[in-house]
Amino acid sequence: MTPDEALSLDQLAIEQKFELEDLLDKGSLGEMCRSFESLFELPVRIYSSSGALLADTQGVPSLYRYLEKAKAGRRAVQDVATGVRRAEPLPGAPVLIEGVPGVLYQASLIEHEGRSLGRIILGPYTDDSQNEPPAALFDLVEELAGEGIAQEWANLPSLSSLAIGRLERHLRATLELLLFSGLKAHMASHMHMASVRESFRELSERNQKLKDAYERLKELDRLKSNFLATVSHELRTPLTSIIGYSEMLLEGIAGEVQEEQKEFVETIHEKGEQLLELIKSLLDLSKLESGTMSLHKVATTGDAIVKDVVSTLTPTAHKKGVYLLSASEADLPPMLADPERMRQVLINLTENALKFTPKGGSVTLSAVHKKEAASDMGGGGSVLMGAVRRSVIEFSVADTGIGISDAEKKRVFDAFYQVDSSSTREAGGTGLGLSIVQRLVDGHDGKISIEDNDPQGSVFIVTVPLKKPPTT
Amino acid sequence: MQLDFATKEMTIKLVYYGPALSGKTTNLQALHAAASGDSKGRLMTLDTRDDRTLFFDLLPLSFEDASGLKVRLKVFTVPGQVIHSSTRRLVVQGADGVAFIADSRVAETETNAESFVDLRDNLEAHGMLLGEMPLVIQFNKRDLPAVRPKDEVAEMAQAGREPVYLAIATQGDGVVETFLALLYQTWKRLEKEHTLSEKFGFDGRAFIANVAEKLGFQGSIEDVLAHAVGATSLGEVGE
Repeated sequence: MTPDEALSLDQLAIEQKFELEDLLDKGSLGEMCRSFESLFELPVRIYSSSGALLADTQGVPSLYRYLEKAKAGRRAVQDVATGVRRAEPLPGAPVLIEGVPGVLYQASLIEHEGRSLGRIILGPYTDDSQNEPPAALFDLVEELAGEGIAQEWANLPSLSSLAIGRLERHLRATLELLLFSGLKAHMASHMHMASVRESFRELSERNQKLKDAYERLKELDRLKSNFLATVSHELRTPLTSIIGYSEMLLEGIAGEVQEEQKEFVETIHEKGEQLLELIKSLLDLSKLESGTMSLHKVATTGDAIVKDVVSTLTPTAHKKGVYLLSASEADLPPMLADPERMRQVLINLTENALKFTPKGGSVTLSAVHKKEAASDMGGGGSVLMGAVRRSVIEFSVADTGIGISDAEKKRVFDAFYQVDSSSTREAGGTGLGLSIVQRLVDGHDGKISIEDNDPQGSVFIVTVPLKKPPTT
Repeated sequence: MQLDFATKEMTIKLVYYGPALSGKTTNLQALHAAASGDSKGRLMTLDTRDDRTLFFDLLPLSFEDASGLKVRLKVFTVPGQVIHSSTRRLVVQGADGVAFIADSRVAETETNAESFVDLRDNLEAHGMLLGEMPLVIQFNKRDLPAVRPKDEVAEMAQAGREPVYLAIATQGDGVVETFLALLYQTWKRLEKEHTLSEKFGFDGRAFIANVAEKLGFQGSIEDVLAHAVGATSLGEVGE
């Protein structure tokens, strides 16, 4: 039976859709019947309700073989089988059948809760009150002159009607016990399968729901990115006017500006620029998220980028009283990268480092050439992947600032996350920088990680492969 | 319910539901012990080695109505442990009536409620509504300490539609009453749906009286209903 055809509990328990064959092991049933026969010397046959013979301890009795020697006897023996098969016992009311004259069978019903499952046939036997073969039996074998028939007759088991009744009840009770155990096992196995199937169905349903929810979230995420892109764009347009016109005011195009007015306009201009930077970051982030930012990768050298970043940010560092140092390896091999975006990565990291480093501290940038095992790209197969070592350029930005706790190291790359998110925090910023950095590094098939600096501060490490890895 | 017009047989499925270890199997065992020999079949328990119900217990009872209609009652329990939810769902499918066996201890209040919600959900999974299901609630384990007082149970019972019984299943107290009330509720529902009295000349009250007698209960169905905690007027419970 395939699982799909498996019966339900109700079909088994209510409709009782099972056969004797389903509940009893044919081999064991045969053994039990043989044991019964050897104990009581009474042959047993068991039929299922469909008429299949499930157990039969009797061969052909020697009396029948004897009778078959005569024509009338042969016919009588042939009729025995039909007679036995046609017997229709009722629940609790066995039927007595006479096979050949004087030879008896008893048929009784095997039932389960009012439903017939099969029949037990006991016999052939003779009634113990009948000591000699009846005359009708002699008539069947007239031509054999009755020689030896008394001997064959005596070979049959002889039982009183009381004894046969007791044996029948005993056998039926035993069978019904076996049947009950069989039914129990049958139901348990069905229930087991049904439960597993039900659990599977339930899990599949949940998986589908999760999948749907995931798809919906992905769609929402896409919509959010689109929205961000559109809004940023729309915000930028009027802001450009604000910055432009405040610039013109400062240049005196619209006439002389008083000192105090100039101060105000300068503030408008400065804040406008800040706002523009923020909007640009947002736009970058949404472009990166939606995958619409294209990286123009060309052969780039890491130390050049480091030098550029250091020279750009030296005035800022100077203003803050922080030492900005570079410690790059000479003659770095060129890597395939978008120099403008890599510069943005290092600027962002360095600006961050400067922001969180107190006066008198230092920020050190470096770029070195390294070989790393590719196995930690994920996807398993480390025995194969571990052998492939890829060349990377490792950039690091080390500061002597306040440092980042282990718990926060995981979160700082989330968009809008701030380690100190209180409104009174000392350092400004939108919390977008690192998430943009993360995405730009991803765009270069690179990795970013944070380590602790000794004795204090953090080191941001960005590794970018020289070539595309084989897995992407 | 299954009706076989040819053999004039009706099979009714009753399910004992409730949280783990509330005494569902014990109820069936007590019922089995109470039933007279000719009406009960073997109690089948599919349990684990530690005697916890794994799939279900099944007690078959059969009675004959004066009209000649044979009524087979198949009384099931479900496994109470939370993890067997899918099995409970399978067992409760096609139920004609449900007896909810609750643990009377105050500490079990939440577990009872959770199991009741589970019953509702599992019925709904088969498109059946708890509100339309013939239902009896039993507060079992009255012999234990820290049980909810009878007055409180009665007060809460009056707010509900279903008859509520107190029981000590281990001693057989309240078991037969719960069962008879469930049978009565179920018969009312089946009668309404299938007009058994019209089709078969089936006399539900006489039938339940017959079952009560076979289970050794002295009294009429009205007595059974009057036994319910917080019963207001005779025979009106659950209308």
